[in-house]
Amino acid sequence: MDILSVLFILAGLFFLIVAAIGVIRLPDVFSRAHAVSLTDSLGAFLMLVGLALHEGLSKNNLKIIAVLALLYIQNPVITHATIRAALRAGLKPWRRRPS
Amino acid sequence: MRPVSSEFLVLKATALFVLWVLLSGSFDWVHLVLGGVLSFTVAWINSGHSPFVPKFRLWGNILLYLPWLFLRIVEGSLHMSKLILNPDLPIDPRLIRVEPKLGHRSAVVLLGNSITLTPGTITAEVDHDVVPETLIGEADPDALLVHAIDETSARDVTSGRLEAKIAEVFKNEERSL
Repeated sequence: MDILSVLFILAGLFFLIVAAIGVIRLPDVFSRAHAVSLTDSLGAFLMLVGLALHEGLSKNNLKIIAVLALLYIQNPVITHATIRAALRAGLKPWRRRPS
Repeated sequence: MRPVSSEFLVLKATALFVLWVLLSGSFDWVHLVLGGVLSFTVAWINSGHSPFVPKFRLWGNILLYLPWLFLRIVEGSLHMSKLILNPDLPIDPRLIRVEPKLGHRSAVVLLGNSITLTPGTITAEVDHDVVPETLIGEADPDALLVHAIDETSARDVTSGRLEAKIAEVFKNEERSL
C-alpha cells in the first residue's frame, strides 16, 4: 500500500514539475494558464490520492475528498476569471504566425 | 420567489450537518448539538429567498458524467505534457468560437466548466459585448469564446462530443434560457 501511495505521489510530482516548466517556457498568459491547469487537474489529484492511500481508512480521507471536490469546482472558475480579465484588458493572444 | 417546503428545509439542514461532522471530525455531544442547531438555523434563514428545489435525476446524470469527463482530463493532461516537454514547443494557440445548442443555461455553464477543466482548452469569454471585434471576428451573442493551445485541443471542442455528452445529461430537463 505504501509503495502504491509513493507511486501516486511521484506521478503527481511529475505533473507539477511539467506544469512549472510549462509556465517558464510558454510565451504568454493565455498559454501559461493551460500549463497551470495541469497542476490542479491531474497533479493535485494524484498527490491527494497518494495521501489518501497512505492514510488508509479514516475520516481524514473524507476531508481529502472534500478538498478534491472544492478544487475541481474552483479551479475552472479561477482559470476562466483570469483569462477573461486578460482578454478584457486588451491583451492579444500570442500567435505562431502573426496575422 | 416561492416558499420552500419543510421537506427541502430538512434536506438542506441535513446536508449542512453532514458537512459540519465531516469537517469537525468529533462526535461528542457538544459538537453534534452545536452543529445541529447551527445547520438548522442557517437552513431556516436561507429558506425564504432561495428557489432551491433539488433535481435528483439531473444530479445523478451529472455524477455519471464526471468519470467520463475525468478521462478527457487525463487525455488532455498527457497531451499538454507532451507539448511542454517537446524541445520544439509545437504549440499553435488560437481563439475559437463554440456555439452550443443546448437550450439550457445550466448546461452551457457545465460545458464551459468542462472545457476549462480539460487542460489545453479554456473558456475565455461568455459575454461578447466587451471583446474587441478585431480579435474574434463578428460578434455572435450565443457563442463561447475558447482559447486552445493547439489544433488537437481545438478539435476536442469543435468536434462536439463534449456538447453531445452534456446534451445527454440534460435531455430530460425542460428548456430554460
